[in-house]
Amino acid sequence: MSPAGCSHVNGYKVDNWKQNLRVIYQCFVWSGTAETRRRKVLQNDAGWTALAKSCICHICGAHLNRLHSCLYCVFFGCFSKKHIHDHAKNKRHNLAVDLLYGGIYCFVCQDYIYDKEMEQIAKEEQRKAWKLQAGIGEKYTTWEPTKRELELLRHNPKRRKITTNCTIGLRGLINLGNTCFMNCIVQALTHTPLLRDFFLSDRHKCEMQSNSCLVCEMSQLFQEFYSGHRSPHIPFRLLHLVWTHAKHLAGYEQQDAHEFLIAALDVLHRHCKGDTTRDDNGKKANNPNHCNCIIDQIFTGGLQSDVTCQVCTGVSTTIDPFWDISLDLPGSSTPFWPLSPGGDGSAVNGESHLSGSTTLTDCLRRFTRPEHLGSSAKIKCGGCHSYQESTKQLTMKKLPIVACFHLKRFEHSAKLRRKITTYVSFPLELDMTPFMASSKESRMNGQYQQTVDVLNNDNKYALFAVVNHQGTLESGHYTSFIRQHKDQWFKCDDAIITKATIKDVLDSEGYLLFYHKQFLEYE
Amino acid sequence: MYVDLKMRATINQKLTEMGERERLKELLRAKLTECGWKDQMKAHCKEVIKEKGLEHVTVEDLVVEITPKGRALVPDSVKKELLQRIRMFLAQHAT
Repeated sequence: MSPAGCSHVNGYKVDNWKQNLRVIYQCFVWSGTAETRRRKVLQNDAGWTALAKSCICHICGAHLNRLHSCLYCVFFGCFSKKHIHDHAKNKRHNLAVDLLYGGIYCFVCQDYIYDKEMEQIAKEEQRKAWKLQAGIGEKYTTWEPTKRELELLRHNPKRRKITTNCTIGLRGLINLGNTCFMNCIVQALTHTPLLRDFFLSDRHKCEMQSNSCLVCEMSQLFQEFYSGHRSPHIPFRLLHLVWTHAKHLAGYEQQDAHEFLIAALDVLHRHCKGDTTRDDNGKKANNPNHCNCIIDQIFTGGLQSDVTCQVCTGVSTTIDPFWDISLDLPGSSTPFWPLSPGGDGSAVNGESHLSGSTTLTDCLRRFTRPEHLGSSAKIKCGGCHSYQESTKQLTMKKLPIVACFHLKRFEHSAKLRRKITTYVSFPLELDMTPFMASSKESRMNGQYQQTVDVLNNDNKYALFAVVNHQGTLESGHYTSFIRQHKDQWFKCDDAIITKATIKDVLDSEGYLLFYHKQFLEYE
Repeated sequence: MYVDLKMRATINQKLTEMGERERLKELLRAKLTECGWKDQMKAHCKEVIKEKGLEHVTVEDLVVEITPKGRALVPDSVKKELLQRIRMFLAQHAT
């Protein structure tokens, strides 16, 4: 299997061999679509049928069994049944091409060979055929290291192998004085796969003059977490930067983890200026509403708000960006029940209603229910030009890659400050389809019975981190559960990391729930 | 036995003509990558290469070693889905 090819191809490389080889690749290997076959090879349907029919073994008629085409004459033969081998021996035609993958087989060397010129032709024909296939564009090619990268790899021989039970990326965090609210958010962020990939592949280009870039500090943090050190990390620099940039969180008292999450995302988003994509003229996208930084790419979703005038039924729609969804809970001073009809959310998400316990989907249904705004809150309607009563409804227009749900457990109303400890059950896998703006439109068009499209994976999410609060409003403690690999969960209690079961996670109270899209599509 | 082969050939012909074969191949590729089958196979290939030695191993060695394992490791759900797709297609284009 030498990369230098074999000498036996020299007998083939005569006359118009390149064009002949191209034709074989075009017609029989990388046939592309029906269109390309029709256009390039034959002119009519009957002839086209003949082509499809002709790709069978000349000895036994099978089309499977690793069909190969002889390079010297028009002959197809099975590889598995050795029909092509017999042909090679009888006719002394030593080269054949695999119709499935385009590899060239040499019967003298008795192996597939790699000839530079032939490989080049194969690659070009494959690319051509791929381009003609509707809606795909460039074919995915695997990464090949450049000369410089090979050099770096040789100079740095240490390798880290990721097996299913290795715990790289897991590290405790020292509590610097009521900083557990920060620690659990850091655990959730360092275990957000896309964020991890962004930082570990060094994608941040810093444009801040001072040393106070939070994104740089995050980058450092990832280096620390993936260094392989098992001792807890002391995040004093991170804490200092957070105090600098989010003054309302400074001080040694206990803060709210959710507030910290939003503040951290905000500062990271602002400091990501150096990484925003450039438009076609090479100018940076300066528009703050059209930021394309990693934070926006991962966390920003679109919330659609429809206000319907009760008189003229005109709808006024706005879409606002969001980083998290804050959900009211039963037991708070805002009324929770009754819920809107047609609630198929629970059926889709398979949550068990343990004798009346509230589920996450119940909260989402309540969040997306139409709400009558009442006579004291009339909105000026653009349709009938007067103040009318209306209903308002929230739905998801665009889902973020990472969806963070905030269960509003801390009530700070004028009358009282308390913590709502109602148990809310949440699933490991969540389908957001019932809460989408598009689903609402289908319902409004009368399609009440929505068949759950199992082949549509766009709205499916998987739980990967849970932040919990124990204790009271005055004195409490934050811990988090995070997921590594497919189903290994760990409890992070400041510096102490312990293995946890899925049951531990799902039985916990839940304050912040982090879900990650299960399937990512290219845009 | 002969009838079976003829039916296979006819179905294959129909699938190829309408481009459905390519679509099914892409679907299968995506499914097998998603469920980790591709990575498992890659790892197995590496083991075989280590065993036989990089200088001496041939493509045939690899094919012989990984084909049975590869066939066995395809998840039932993937098989079901592909079968369903083919059935649907044939039902739509029955002559």
